[in-house]
Formats: sequence, structure tokens, C-alpha cells
Amino acid sequence: MAKSENCPNCGAEVVFRSSGLPAVICDYCHSTVKRIGEALEKIGEVAALPFDVSPIQRGTTGKYDGRNFEVIGRIRLGYEQGSWNDWLCLFSDMTHGWLSESDGQFQMVIEQPLESSHSDLVQRIAAGGDAVPGDRTEIDGQPYFVADARWARCISAEGELPFAATTGWSVYNVDFRNPAGLSANVEREEGEPPGFYMGRYVSLAELEPRYLREIQGWARPEYAA
Amino acid sequence: MPPEPPDSDRPNPWGAGESGAAGPTSPRTVVTAEGDKAAAAEQFNCPNCGGSIEIKAAGYTVTVACQYCGSTLDVTDPDVRIIQRYEEEVRKLDLPLGSRGKLRGIEWEVIGYMRRSENGTYPWDEYLLFNPYYGYRFLDTDGRGWTLGRQLTEMPAKNGLLGFTVDGEFYEPFYAQTRNQVDFVLGEFYWQVQVGEEALTADYVRPGKMLSWESSKHETEWTLGELLEPNEVPDAFGVEPLTGGGLPLPHQPSPYKKQSGQMMKIAGLAAAAIILFAIMFGGTSDPETTRVNLATNGVEQSAKIGPIELTRPRQAVTVSARAPGIDNAWIDLAYTLTDRDTGDVYEASNVVEHYSGYDAEGNWTEGSRSSSSKFSMVPAGTYDLTVDAAGSQWLEGQYAATRNAVVEVSIARGATFYSNIILALIVVFVPAIWVWIRHLSFESRRKSDSDFAGDDDDDD
Repeated sequence: MAKSENCPNCGAEVVFRSSGLPAVICDYCHSTVKRIGEALEKIGEVAALPFDVSPIQRGTTGKYDGRNFEVIGRIRLGYEQGSWNDWLCLFSDMTHGWLSESDGQFQMVIEQPLESSHSDLVQRIAAGGDAVPGDRTEIDGQPYFVADARWARCISAEGELPFAATTGWSVYNVDFRNPAGLSANVEREEGEPPGFYMGRYVSLAELEPRYLREIQGWARPEYAA
Repeated sequence: MPPEPPDSDRPNPWGAGESGAAGPTSPRTVVTAEGDKAAAAEQFNCPNCGGSIEIKAAGYTVTVACQYCGSTLDVTDPDVRIIQRYEEEVRKLDLPLGSRGKLRGIEWEVIGYMRRSENGTYPWDEYLLFNPYYGYRFLDTDGRGWTLGRQLTEMPAKNGLLGFTVDGEFYEPFYAQTRNQVDFVLGEFYWQVQVGEEALTADYVRPGKMLSWESSKHETEWTLGELLEPNEVPDAFGVEPLTGGGLPLPHQPSPYKKQSGQMMKIAGLAAAAIILFAIMFGGTSDPETTRVNLATNGVEQSAKIGPIELTRPRQAVTVSARAPGIDNAWIDLAYTLTDRDTGDVYEASNVVEHYSGYDAEGNWTEGSRSSSSKFSMVPAGTYDLTVDAAGSQWLEGQYAATRNAVVEVSIARGATFYSNIILALIVVFVPAIWVWIRHLSFESRRKSDSDFAGDDDDDD
């Protein structure tokens, strides 16, 4: 399935693993490369990733709900009071999900059809409305509360992606939490249809991760031994 | 290797205490790692005092309070910017920034410290702990104990009017919403921290755990804290144990509750055993009875019951007397239990009496028409019981001698010494009740600081 190509900007190798993931960031020149039919096109570029001590890296593998996944890309988003990582996970059945990492907490979410939410609030956000932390809605018969709602900006990205991210691209993101630890997100971005994601908060340990990033001075955690 | 603090007499070209976005910035560089491991820190020089600072949670940290001059710095951009400038004597922390310790199996590095209070009262210390593989924890103390908290990702569910449930465990309200502020800050944080910044907090407790709600202008968060054993933080970080004192902590489990429960159980078992023994060994056998006809004029009559076989090495013997027909009369009874073989004698005396009359307050009666006497520890043998009885009657202010009375005396092997049993039961229960009282007193002291005190529900 994986298809090896050359970056249209610098000629370095870029890999496309799934037809569902038409974009890749060149590791050498940071160009955002998009596959359009058989052709590759440079859409823009991203800034170099700022240094962080995330335990996740491209190549980290794990298990979620009985399915194996590998981390193959990420988007780093920032707002005036902080930043977070959305790690793209390719499951063994070639579908994908996002492992979202914020303040040392993780949630795994998978995109769902917007209509499946059956939530007026979700529809309203998708249609351009704003949400306020504390807002309550019901999704799938379960109560959810808005935990935060904010505009964020793409700081940088790496690896493969389902869309062509470039630095400065901005998105309105709303996070929902639930008494049982479930989570949902609505994303509204420029020039793209709104996205609706559902999943739950996870601990790294329960993902049984392998190939975590080894960080100087810190022992490998027991759960990854 | 901690960096050297800068010279204290370093000139401060921007003036002390002045805050503002303008001013110098300082670039960050990644601290090079060895081998193929990823680097663990970034380094920069404080744009205010020039001191060398490391960021341990790079990528998460947004605010750093300089460990040398106390200035708060914004590190969201590649160039570090001053948010609030300070030139203060930085205080020494109980847990210094950069120190590491293992709590409940996980190694943590102290990366941030805040002193918070309710406008100067109820101050407490809050340390921020970090491990890149486990995220963040909070380590709080107000001098009485250490609480390790983690921010919740699930929303606690409201339970009842004021309580909340997390993981199926109920938390009762303890502190109502209070405003508090940051008085002092050092180190790095994943949110914007500033001295003077206010937040609203409310706390809910169950034994050993505290659920805290906190709302600032940016967000609302729930934290679940576990009270650590007194030795855990000293063992992990090599610091002195807290001296504590004062009221129990809101979430301090009563040290007496479990103990008193166990003691109650033990006392219950012991009481059951005592009662069982009393029934098994103290019960009476079929009594032998005789009747003595008495003239109620003080003349002594005798009767004999026997032979009575006592087979156990030692046993109790009960002698009961009943005189159903007497009124305004008493019968003195003397019992002599004589061993036929050895001639040993056991003596007891008793009385049956009954009076009635009429006075200003109406009819009255007094006395009892029956009585019983007990001989304890009587050795085995064949015995006779001699009853000497003398009846007297008091009628219209003088002794009377006309009526006859009948007293029925019976003797039975065995006896139930109720007073002894009650005494034994009290002895058995006293320690448990004592500990239970201490538990109640602990609980009432623990709750005395609560905004919801007076709610005396015992949470089992």
C-alpha cells in the first residue's frame, strides 16, 4: 500500500501509506506536499517544530479498543495561553484516529459523520456558532459538557496528514467532556468542512505503547517496558 | 548541575516592580542530550536578571517564574518575554525546584511552586510535579499533611443536593466556594500564572480523598487528591516530616473508625460467647420444692429438702422462696446447705415480704413476695437443705398472730448470675465504646472547619 515519492520541492523521499491521507510534510524542507491524482504539489510549508518533551513520536505504536495503531503524523496547535499536539494514528485497518495530547493528558478521538451527533449544540458550532465552557448537550444519549472552546493556530506539523496543513492555518476547536471520561470535539476550519470527533480520555499505559520517545534522564515507564 | 544565581547587586535598568510587555527578550536553546535519546530540557537566560533557567516540560510550559528574581516570563514564543518583573529575595522551598522523588512507584520532578491563600488567611503550598511519561501531579500541603492530586479528565457527576460522585465514590461537601489568590510563584507552569491571580475553589471530601473544583477566568478544572501517609514525601524527597498539629485535615480518615469497628466486632463476639456460656453452664436444673406452713407470729418453723446430688466439681445452687398469700407480712428465711459426708455447711438468708396500704397519695404496695438466694462454687456431694422460716405480721399498727402463711421453697442446681454477666458485658464493650467516642470526637473536630458543619451524616 505504501507509496514512495519524491518531494516536489527538494526531491527527498516522501511516503504515502493510505489513499485516505493525501498530504505529507517533507522531513527535509518542511514543504506541505499534497497528492492530487497521480501528481504531487507543494501547497505551502510549515515552520520547524518547536522542541517539546512529548513521550510520543512518529513510529510509536499501541492498541486502542483491540486495534493496533502506529503514529505517523502530527499537527501542533497553539493559542495565546498554550499549545497541544494532535497525533495522527493509522490503525491496522487503514482507518485513522487522533491521539490528542494536552497538558500531559491524552484522548483518542475518531471522526464521525456530523449528523450522527444528534446534538443541536454540535450542529450549531459546526455551522459557525460559538460555544462557552460549561455548555451542556447530549450526544448518543450521554451528557457532555463543553470543557473549552477556542481559536487555535497551526504552529507546525510533521509526517502524513489527512489534509494539507500549513503554519498559520487556523481552527475553532471545541472540546466536550463527560462524566464517564468520554470526549468529543468539533472543529471548524478555514476552507474545510467541519469535523466531528468522538472518543475517550486514555492513559498512555492502557494503550500499551511501544517505541515511545526516550527522553534523557528519565527511566522508561513500567507500562512500556 | 543547578546554575549559579546571578549577582544580587546586578543593576536593574527597568526599575523594580514595574510590569509591562516591553523590554528585552531572550532566546531559548535545547539542552543537548547524550546518545540517541531526546533532549529533556530547554535553557534560556532570564531576560530580567540574566539567571540561567531550564524548562523541564518544554512544549507544555507557558509561564516561568524565574527562580532567582521571581519575575514571571512568557515562554509560549521562541523568545522569552517578561510578563511581570520582580526583584525579590527568592525564598527557599521545602521541595527545591529540580528535586526528584518517587511517589507510589513513579518518579516526579518538582518544576513549579505556588503559595496560595484566601487573601492572606488559610495559606497553602502547591508544588507542580512532572514526568514526561505520566504528565502532571499536584503536591499540596498546609503544614498538616501532603496531598497528591491529579487533574480529572472526567466530569464528576452531581449526587444529591451538594455532593459529587467520581468512580462510584461519593464526596460530601466540605468547603463552599471561596475566592483565593496566588501570593508567590516560582518555576514553570502549563497555564498562565501570575501573582495576584484569583480563582474560585470548592472542596468535597471522603476519608483519605479530596475532590477540588477550581474555576479561573480561563477554565474550570476538577482535581482528585489522595492524602499521602506522613512518611511518603519525606522518604521520597529527603525532607523533614511535617510537624502538623491543629485540627484534622478535611479528608483525614479517622484513625479510630476502623479500630473501633474491629473492637466492636471483637466485643460482640466476646459478648456472644459470654451469653452462650451462661446458657450452657449457668442454666438451672429441675428444682425440688417443699412447702412450709407458718404461723405469722414469729415462731420459727423448719423444713428439710434432700438429698440433693451435686455432681460437678463446683457449681452454683439457687434457692427460691415464694409466699403468694402474704400481705403486710414478712418471712425471714435462713438456709443451711449441709454436705452429708463432710458436714460442711453453706449458709444464706433472705426474706419475702409484702406491704400495702393507703395514704395521701393513694394506694401503695411495697416489697416482693418472692426472693432467691444463690450459693456459688459448691463442691460435689450429697446435700440437705434446711429451711428455717419465721413469719411476722403487722396489722393496724401492731404485730398480729392470727393468719397462717405458706412459703414455698425450692432448690435447683445451677444459677445464672445476671449481675456478673452484665458486668462482663460492660467490661467487654467499654474499650470499643471508648474508641468509638474518640472516633466521634475526631470526626466532629475534622468537620468543625467545614462550611457544611452540622451535617452529621456518617458516611459508611
